[in-house]
This record gives sequence, C-alpha cells and structure tokens, in this order.
Amino acid sequence: MKRAVQISLLATLLLAACAEGPEVGDSSAPGFCEGVQARVDSFMSTAAGGGSEGVRYGGMAVVGAPADLGGMNALAHGDAGAVQHQMFVNLMTLVQYDENLEPVAYLARSWDVSEDGSELTFHLRDDVRWHDGVLTTAHDVAFTFLTAVNPRSGFPNPAFFQHYLPGEAGVEVVDSFTVKFRFRPHSEFMDPWRTVAIMPRHLLGSVPPEDLARHPFGEVCPVGNGPFRFVSRMPGDRWIFAANPAFPEGLGGRPFLDRYVYRVIPEQTVLLAELLTGGVDVHVAMFPNHAARAQAEPGLRVVSFPYRSIFFAGWNGRIPKLSDPRVRRALTLGVNRRQIMEGIHGPDAVVVNSGVPPVHWAFDPSLGDSLSYDPGQARTLLDAAGWLDRDGDGIRENAEGTPLRIELILNQNQERQEVAEIMQVQLKEVGVDLHPRVLEFATLMDRITSSRRDFEGVLVSWEAEFRLDERDLFHSDAVDGLWAFSGTVDPALDRYLDTLQLITDRSDAIPVWRAYQNRIMEIHPYMYLYSAYRRDGVSGRLRDVVLDARGEWANIREWWIASEDRRAP
Amino acid sequence: MLVYAARRVLTSVPLVLGVATIVFLVLALAPGDPASVYVRPGMSPETLEHIRRNLGLDAPAHVQYGRWVLSFFRGDFGYSLASGMPVRARILAVLPNTLILTSVSLCIAFVTGVLVGVVQAVRQHSFLDSVLSGASLFFYSMPSFWLAIMMVLVFSVNAGNAWGWPVSFPPSGMASDGYELMKATDQLRDRIHHLVLPAFTLALVLAGGIARYVRSSMLEVIRQDYIRTARAKGLPEWLVVWKHALRNALIPVVTLVGVYFPLLLSGTVFIEYVFAWPGMGRLMVESILLEDYPVVLAGTFLFGGMVVLGNLLADLLYGIVDPRIRHGEG
Repeated sequence: MKRAVQISLLATLLLAACAEGPEVGDSSAPGFCEGVQARVDSFMSTAAGGGSEGVRYGGMAVVGAPADLGGMNALAHGDAGAVQHQMFVNLMTLVQYDENLEPVAYLARSWDVSEDGSELTFHLRDDVRWHDGVLTTAHDVAFTFLTAVNPRSGFPNPAFFQHYLPGEAGVEVVDSFTVKFRFRPHSEFMDPWRTVAIMPRHLLGSVPPEDLARHPFGEVCPVGNGPFRFVSRMPGDRWIFAANPAFPEGLGGRPFLDRYVYRVIPEQTVLLAELLTGGVDVHVAMFPNHAARAQAEPGLRVVSFPYRSIFFAGWNGRIPKLSDPRVRRALTLGVNRRQIMEGIHGPDAVVVNSGVPPVHWAFDPSLGDSLSYDPGQARTLLDAAGWLDRDGDGIRENAEGTPLRIELILNQNQERQEVAEIMQVQLKEVGVDLHPRVLEFATLMDRITSSRRDFEGVLVSWEAEFRLDERDLFHSDAVDGLWAFSGTVDPALDRYLDTLQLITDRSDAIPVWRAYQNRIMEIHPYMYLYSAYRRDGVSGRLRDVVLDARGEWANIREWWIASEDRRAP
Repeated sequence: MLVYAARRVLTSVPLVLGVATIVFLVLALAPGDPASVYVRPGMSPETLEHIRRNLGLDAPAHVQYGRWVLSFFRGDFGYSLASGMPVRARILAVLPNTLILTSVSLCIAFVTGVLVGVVQAVRQHSFLDSVLSGASLFFYSMPSFWLAIMMVLVFSVNAGNAWGWPVSFPPSGMASDGYELMKATDQLRDRIHHLVLPAFTLALVLAGGIARYVRSSMLEVIRQDYIRTARAKGLPEWLVVWKHALRNALIPVVTLVGVYFPLLLSGTVFIEYVFAWPGMGRLMVESILLEDYPVVLAGTFLFGGMVVLGNLLADLLYGIVDPRIRHGEG
C-alpha cells in the first residue's frame, strides 16, 4: 500500500512537471482581459474580409529577432522593436513616412498647419475601428496626447511634445474626427505623430496614469486598430498576430498574410539556423559574419540598408584629463575608424562625425575629412596639451606625472568589445593607455546618467530619431540632465541648438545644421565612430518586403506568400 | 510518509526565505538602478523620478523588501520592474516549460547513464567499455553551450538540408508556428519534436557522469557474495545483473536525483538561451541583468524550493529502492 502511495506521489510530481504552461493572457488579468477578448472575438467574427479571396491572401510569416518586445502600450513601452509593432502592426499612428521619409496619411486623412505654424489640425479617417469594434476618434488622439504629457504616466519620450502648450491647452477635439494641437512653431513637428501610436480611450481612459505601465493591456491583451490584431503571447518566446479583416479598404483593406508571428531567438547562430532551415522568414539584425553564409543559401537574400544607428565613444568632459578638446581630438585621430569599420562591416557602414545619421536629410558626407586616422597629428595635439612621455614607458604623463590612462566602459557586446580592444592597441601607439571595462547594462547606465558621472569614457551606440534634437546631450541648460554625460557647456552650441528647434523649413535649417556639426567637431565631446547598416536576412518565399530606415515592418501590410510556398496548415 | 514529506517542506520555507533575503541584500547593494532601462533621450530627471515612483523604487530598500515579503505572503510576488507584469503570471508562464525540459532530460540522463554504466561494468576492460568510457568523459566535459550549438548545426542545419538525413529537428523554440491550431495528437508530436535537441543536450552532459557512477557502483556490487550465490543457484545472467545487482547498485545513484534536479534547473540557463526555450533560467538571467528584484526573489524562492523538493524526492526514492529504509516511522 505504502509502495503504491509512493509511486503515485512520484507520478503526480512527474505529471505536474509535464503540465502545459498557461499563456500569460490566461491568468494574469482575468477581469479586464477576458471581457476585452470576448468583444474582440465577437467583432472579428462579424467583420468583413474585404478582398481576401485574391491569390496573395493567406499564409503566415515569421520574423525572428534576438530581443522580446516590451509591449503594445505606446504610453509605456518605448523599446525599438515594440515601437515598430505599435506603428506598423497592431496599432496606428496619425501619419506614416513614405520611402523618401515624407509624411503621408494613415489614421489621419489629411492635416492643416496654421499660417503662423502654431496650430496643427488632423482630420481623421472615420472608418478605423479598434479591434473590439469601437470607432477610433479624435477623443482617442487627445487622450493619448494628454496622457503622454502627464509626467505621472512616465511616458518614455516626453521630449516629443516639449514645444506643445501644456496640458489641455495643447489639444482641442474639434469634432469626433478632427483634433487640433497648439504649440510653439518648431522643426519636424509631424515626426512625433509618425512614432506615437494612438491608444484606446475607452479601454484605458479610466486607468490612473501611474498604473499604465502595469496594466495588462500592453502585454497580455492589447487591443489595437492596426492591420493585425493580437492573438497571443508567450513572454520570451513569441507574439502571434492575425490579419484584421476590418482594416479600412481605403488603406488597402486587410493585410495579405493571415498570420504574423514574432519569435524571440536570443542566440544569433541559432537565429541564423532558423533562417537557413525555413523556421523564420526574416532574420532581424544579422551579424556581419553571418551574412555571407545566408547569402550563399539559395532562396535567401541579405538586405543591407542605411539605418539610424550611431556608434561612438563618449568622454566625460568634467574630468580634467578629458576636459581639453585637443586631447579628445587626439583620441579620434589616433584611432583608425575606417579600418575598424571596414574590418567589421565591410562596405556596409559609414564613418560619422556627429550624431546626424547618414539617412538624415541634414547629414553632411564631406564632414570629417580632417579627422582621418593621423597618429602624427594626434601626438602633436597631445604634446601641445602638455601630455608627454616623461618617463619613457610609452605612456604620456602631464606635468604632475599623472599618466594618460582612460577607463572606457562598455556593456557585454561582441562588436563593442572588439572595437574597444582595437582602440586600446591603436591608442597605445600614440601614448594613451586605454582600459576597456565591461559592465552589465544597468550598472553602465547608472554610471553615465547618475549625478555622480562615475566614468571616464563610455562606448555605446543608439538609434537616432528622425527628428533630431541634441539639446539633452549638449545644451548647457541640460548639463545636469540624464544624458549630458559629456558635461558640454558651449554658448555657440547652445545658439545652434536653440535655433534648430525653431526652424520649420528644412532648406533654412541645413546651413545651421552644418555649422552645428562643425562646432561639434571642434569641441569634440565624443569620438563618433560609424553608423552601421542594418542587415536583415529574408526568405525568398516572402514577397514584396521593403526594408529601409523606417524599419523592418514598414510595409508588412503588403507582404505576401504564394500559395505553393506557404507552410502546411 | 506524507506527514514526513509535509514536515520537510514546511521546515524549508524559512530557509528558502532566508536565501531570498540574502539575494535581495546583494541586489540592493549592487550598483545600478532598475529604472535605467526606461531611460530615453530627452527624458527629464523628473520623468524618471515619476517612473521610479510608479515602480515603487523611490522607497528605501527595507520598505521595498517589506513590500516584497507582503506580496510573497499574498502569493502574487509583486510586479516585475522591467515589464510591469505581475511576477506570478510571469513565472507561471515559463516555469512549466523549464519543468518539462528538466524532467524529460533527467529521465533521459538516468536511463542512458544507467544502461551505459551497467554495460560498462558487465564488460569491464573490454573494447566496448573503453569506447563508452571515452564517450562518457567526452560529454561529461563538454561545455553545454558549445554542445548545444553543435547539436543545432548537425541535427538541424545539416541533417535535413546538406546531408539529406530523413530526420532533422527544429533548432529552437518549444512549438511550431501554428501550434495552437493543431490537433492534440499533432501538438504532442510537435512538442516532442522540439524537445529532442534541448533535452538530449542537457541529458548527455549528465548521462556521462551518471554512467561513471553506475559503473563503479555496479563493479562493487557485482563482487559481493550474494551475487556469486545467485549465479551458483543457476540464475540467468540477465536476472543476476538487472534484478540482484542493479537494484543494490542504484541505491547510491538515487541520491544523484536530488543533487541533479536543482543542478538541472541552473544548467538550463545555457540550454534555454541557445534553444530559445522560454523558461525560468532565461527569465532569471535577464531579470538579474536588469536588477528586476521582484522576479529574482521569486525565482530564488522557487529554485530554493526545487532544491528542497529534489532532496525530498531523493529521500523518497531511497525508500522505494531500499526496503530497509522507511520514513516517518519510529
């Protein structure tokens, strides 16, 4: 008898271990999510599938990427992958950019700008419904804006609306499908409305702003109004979306694909293996050394395109040894940036000399010729700054005998580690002792953004926005802000930064942008390295995929798979 | 026995809570700010402060700890700082995945290890013994990360495409796309198909060690007088080996279950990472890197619980394989 109990206990343990895990949506927010899901299912079952009989309709595409998406709440989730899914997949923005990066209508049919440039009025489509059937209206747009500018919400990109009149003075619902914004005239004023997806007021309007980040809407049961509706999600594994049959005919109707799956595959070799074996159709952000392997495979193509990434070493100008611009210029001249870039990325990258990425209209390709690798000039500048090798050990010292030793912090990243090691070797040639130090990300961020500024140099990269605003990096008003880790205070830069924000015409802005970039080169707060192209692997079975600086999902509505190429159901 | 098991589990709760407390202290003393993952260009310090307040990070460390203990007793473990999701939901979503992987791996590892060990003991000093010893040592000493990548390259990338093998396995994930649309039998087949590579990779490393253990244990038992007696009675060799010798040789091996179960949970970190298996190991590593202490503490508590459970399991198995051992009596 006891033996039977023992065996049954063991069997129970094993059975419990083999039980199917619940998806998050099943258990974490029973009240909200169950009600929402029922309404979405009900509406979707009655929605018309306009044009879905054509040969292009059907099939499932799978995109694989190393990182999970934060969530579909545009007011709380600001990571790059999540924002793209909010913009193009599950939700809608007021406008989108076309291939030339010019705004085109999307949720907004059209827009007017007042003569003095202080009012922007959007006229919305009247046929866009949330996936639970409720119409998307101007009240949703106003709700999104008012929540974003409310500091209690912790909206990740408040700088988008820094020129808007505060609170309700900044927005007016003219009628159900017309909304007006008021602001100080400023540059690129349309750009935030390309990025910030509109959120449903009828679902989130009663949620206190400070609770939005914890609300299950974003991660458990998102309800969008975009071309794909949310189906399910397993954290760290995949997001599943299905075609929205009620997507407006005026915007092309329902997307061609029946299903779209976003898969998280953190190991790059395995992600490549999935692409090679047909497990994924698009491999996002491929390693340079994997591209050749994928390119050699029949039925696959590797697409490289200029992107918005900027890779640089930022110096802490508050530290005496790095406060002299001559020293910072010497560091750049002592590093062969082109050689490093070509060694890692081949022709798929561009040397940059400011935070303006090559895809931006203000990028000046002629800039920086005087900063090509020149160790002789680097030595001259260091000599002039008083750093000489006084004891013959190969490392320069100042008059007090302090060696020119710089700690360069970086997070765990293969490319950054390789670049730091090459920089270390090359700078040694000019008498600089560079010490790369790898930290985990949270510690690195804390050291550069906290008021202690407990670092000397940091090797990082980021994705620039289309609407460039470097005030938080280099304006003296922001010198105590999170991102002013270089400690730059320069009246000329302040003037340029103040002016650039208020020029609404690009042709008027270009000369100021050039002057600004030249000034950046003179004071040299960072060693700008390069802007690498984005490199994606794409299966040949997935047709009409357009990949450019807007992102991987810009035209997901038009992706299609021929019936003979579709996965077996 | 059930009373014994319940008593063991209950007395372990303070111990595991103590471990979680130490982990909290370590995280609290570590440099870095969990809110830093939310920092974006253009964000003012005031906005960051609001985010910290929304996450409860503005409170002193002891208050944060007190809140976590309360949430522990409520049973919800609080909210993840990185994702904003309830920790319980976050863990419940991935814990079964890890348990599936580790349980299957443990079964494969023990079955393989015991079989290989017995064969080696019975054929001691033979060519087969040498080959199996070499293989055991090879897998025992291989880093699981490297072995996992090799498994993918051989059994996924090349098996089906380049070498034309009739069978190949998916390189990652725990289900095919469209899994939820499949029939139950197809779902089971699909899950097993996805389990093969991660489970065998995890199991192979362990099986090597178990085989070494079983071999030496069997060699010791096989020289005992009662084995000689059994043979003298004319029992067939297979009965002598599998019934009389193995059962006794397994007693020390059973303790390995308790040792290996928690080891498997930590060992899954690399396997889950390589095979994109959404489990506890990956969640814990990501949460540690993001200083997401509510998730780390809950995970630590669970891992601690697994250690206790593993040891309890070993003790119960003792009772099954050795009739002389009885729990909770006398």
